[in-house]
Amino acid sequence: MRRGWFLPIAASLGFAFLYAPIVSLVIFSFNESSLVTVWSGFSTKWYGALFSDPQLLGAAWLSLQIAALAASIALVLGTLAAVALVRFRRFRGRTLFSGMVSAPLVMPDVITGLSLLLLFVAMEGLLGWPQGRGMVTIVIAHATFCTAYVCVVVQSRLSDFDRSLEEAAMDLGASPVRTFFDITLPIIAPALVSGWLLGFTLSLDDLVIASFVSGPGSSTLPMVIFSKVRLGVSPDVNALATIIIGIVALGVLGATILQLRSKPKSSGA
Amino acid sequence: MAKKPQLAIDTRPWRDTANNKPFVRIRNVSKKFGDVLAVHDVSLDIYKSELFCLLGGSGSGKSTLLRMLAGFETPTSGTIEIDGQDMTEVPPYARPVNMMFQSYALFPHMSVEQNIAYGLKRDGLPKAEIAARVAELLALVKLQDYGKRKPHQLSGGQRQRVALARALAKRPKLLLLDEPLGALDKKLREETQFELVKIQESLGVTFIVVTHDQEEAMTLATRIGVMNQGEIAMVGEPTDIYEFPNSRFVASFIGSANMVEGIVTEDEPGHVRIRSAELGCDIYVAHGVDCAPDQLLWWAIRPEKMVLSREKPTHPHGANVTSGIVEEIAYLGDISLYQVALDSGKRIRVSQTNSVRGNPDAITWEERVYISWGDSSGSVLTV
Amino acid sequence: MTIARDPTIPPPRRLKPWNAVERGLAKVGITGRMLVLAAPVLWLLVFFLIPLAVVFGISLTTKQFGRPPYSPLLTTEEGTVQLTLQFNNYIRLFTDNLYVAAYLSSIRIAAISTVITLLVGYPMAYAIARAPDRWRNIFLMLVVLPFFTSFLLRVYALTGFMRGNGVINQFLGLFGIPPLVMMQTDFAVYVGIVYTYLPFMILPLYTTLVKLDTSLFEASADLGARPIHTFLFVTLPLSLPGIVAGSMLVFIPAIGEFVIPSLLGGPETLMIGRVLWDEFFAATNWPRAAAVAVAMLVVVVVPIMLLQRAQGAVVEK
Repeated sequence: MRRGWFLPIAASLGFAFLYAPIVSLVIFSFNESSLVTVWSGFSTKWYGALFSDPQLLGAAWLSLQIAALAASIALVLGTLAAVALVRFRRFRGRTLFSGMVSAPLVMPDVITGLSLLLLFVAMEGLLGWPQGRGMVTIVIAHATFCTAYVCVVVQSRLSDFDRSLEEAAMDLGASPVRTFFDITLPIIAPALVSGWLLGFTLSLDDLVIASFVSGPGSSTLPMVIFSKVRLGVSPDVNALATIIIGIVALGVLGATILQLRSKPKSSGA
Repeated sequence: MAKKPQLAIDTRPWRDTANNKPFVRIRNVSKKFGDVLAVHDVSLDIYKSELFCLLGGSGSGKSTLLRMLAGFETPTSGTIEIDGQDMTEVPPYARPVNMMFQSYALFPHMSVEQNIAYGLKRDGLPKAEIAARVAELLALVKLQDYGKRKPHQLSGGQRQRVALARALAKRPKLLLLDEPLGALDKKLREETQFELVKIQESLGVTFIVVTHDQEEAMTLATRIGVMNQGEIAMVGEPTDIYEFPNSRFVASFIGSANMVEGIVTEDEPGHVRIRSAELGCDIYVAHGVDCAPDQLLWWAIRPEKMVLSREKPTHPHGANVTSGIVEEIAYLGDISLYQVALDSGKRIRVSQTNSVRGNPDAITWEERVYISWGDSSGSVLTV
Repeated sequence: MTIARDPTIPPPRRLKPWNAVERGLAKVGITGRMLVLAAPVLWLLVFFLIPLAVVFGISLTTKQFGRPPYSPLLTTEEGTVQLTLQFNNYIRLFTDNLYVAAYLSSIRIAAISTVITLLVGYPMAYAIARAPDRWRNIFLMLVVLPFFTSFLLRVYALTGFMRGNGVINQFLGLFGIPPLVMMQTDFAVYVGIVYTYLPFMILPLYTTLVKLDTSLFEASADLGARPIHTFLFVTLPLSLPGIVAGSMLVFIPAIGEFVIPSLLGGPETLMIGRVLWDEFFAATNWPRAAAVAVAMLVVVVVPIMLLQRAQGAVVEK
């Protein structure tokens, strides 16, 4: 078909819009001056400042721990939920269940944060647990919304799944549980990996929910960044952002390459 | 079951190219996709009211050629003329050509009526005229009661008819059909073949049909263009293609054929004699062939053109008889197919009509039999 | 190759502990299904559904000093349990101009941003869907990549771009154009929402567009439709589920957005997420914040239902 000029131009502008602010942020992270937007010479001093800021480092370490824990809990819960939704065609409360699983995806963060905080406060009053708020409550909150994301990812992989593979395994004498671990799990493994990674990044990224359910002394990295940014520009945030963007870009790049390699070439007819 | 010619022989336009102007003229058209040459230097003339079939395997370039006629692809070189006008650079929406897609490409969000009316609306026809034309087309394809339905509420055969009606709605001069019967099951396909021919004859539109199904091509076509690896291997009426193939490819692609290699030993204007070690005998051909003495060539013969017998038949020139052992018999009801292993090891297939019911004396496995054929039953092929 | 087996040695007994466990559980009436469902159901019940009920309950109390900072819903008086429901928070929501204005302004900002995101995202999604196979994955990755980098940092990147002496104004300065005031305006909030939520718009649009059979476009052209007509009559209606899904995925979170209005918006940029935040953290009026949340939930319920339906249509086909 004949191609117009409109689409390529619109798409290029769109990508420029997406990337220009990020690129400028990366460039200015190497700026000598503490004015974030006026170039005055190349320097890596803000990176140095970053690594000598104990508050920032502590928050980063806390965030990584929370993200790993929350993603792992979400992986288990989300996979179970996905199996139930894809495989159990009919059960009592299915609609309610599927709504509960997918609602956190679109629930505004402020509502999720507030509701969990109020729950934790009420629970503490009634049951004496959780005592105060901190890492545990943040992990619970993050695991809850990450479950929804994991479930979506695993669900799409499971519905593409060729059921006859499992039937073959059972025909050859494997029990349903055995079949799940021998056949199903290896095949959906890529979805599990991407589900976990998605949960990990989302947890690492969350500011609003964590602000509600965290307690004194448990400030996550986004909370520290937010307080810095709110007070004004700070070039060390640029440096931090550059590091995070670099790690994420490498990760996504690696994942994409892996995915492209493992995917069999589709034959175009 | 070749299509009966509707026209007296002297008016079949392709037989008198001097006095008839072709309706579609494809000249030296090539199409490259990257490094792949999909269509290579094709020249083809198609005449008004023809039902021309492009026949070929997958990757033969037949669909690409059709898409160039529709305007979805631009030829890398060469020109396409339709009704005397150069169409090479005309976009699809401005061509007097419509296409019926293999997948039917019915718009899923529109009803049957809206699908058929789509092209007419784009032409800005008055509403009343569109309604009348849609009704007329629905009647033509016998779907009067289905106008309000959506495509997904129709059966495969009904969808196929909607696609045909939609393509015919604008009264195109030329209708392109991409595997029009490909998605139908066998029984429906046979019925629909005749419907299609009837509609084509009654409207007098020129059809170009792409198909990989030779039976379909034989049934539908006035002429067939056999395509192979981007080139036209042969153009001819169905009987020409079957009985007088011009190459080993056409002979083996259409129907089934026994093919042997041989060397010319006698080359006279009235006959040739070919010695074939594979066949274990000489082949006497009762017409001249453009060849040289001692030339290596091929001879092809259809299974039904040969006769099996227990006694050795005599031949005036001491040729056209060989013998072998019956290896396999496939009973197909109307005919039986025999596979005979010649002494050279070459296997020949011969079909015999089962004219006697439950014949107890039929030739059976492991019997030595003689195979013979008439002097002009086979085709001599030099390429 | 065959493996000879000594016939005198009995074949090894296969241990199938799972089979035994399953049989045992089945006897007590517990099926595998129940086991699979138990954990996610319990978790979501306790940490998703009940919290919403708690929010609703607390929205019916009033602020008081102490721990917790709200009046108890249930009180025991002389052995009888008493339920005290107070609707003053909701009455306040409807009578105080601040709240009404915040809701309306949130809806307006979210709606305008959604439309802009659609206008920016549609051509991009279309271009990606029509790109050659090997480019498509790269483009998709480029769309998703910013989504994985921190949301907060992307908003921050925008502040560097739009501030008074930011990149855009420095660029305009090269042409002698005086600096534009972009930060702390509604404009900056629109840009922020479009910028951060663009991937959510592009992905569902792409999913519907890439599934469309190209022969439909060819059929349309073949029937005489110019490209613009093919777009209007074929492409656009067929991509409607993607448009709805993408728009809702932007609109719903934008309604409750807090970070963007507080970093990019001005003091007069009223958004309900910000009001809730301030009510909770600054005024520590938990019951009022809860009422604001319940009202916000009511606002997003219809879009969420629209989204569910559209997503079904995007995934199916």
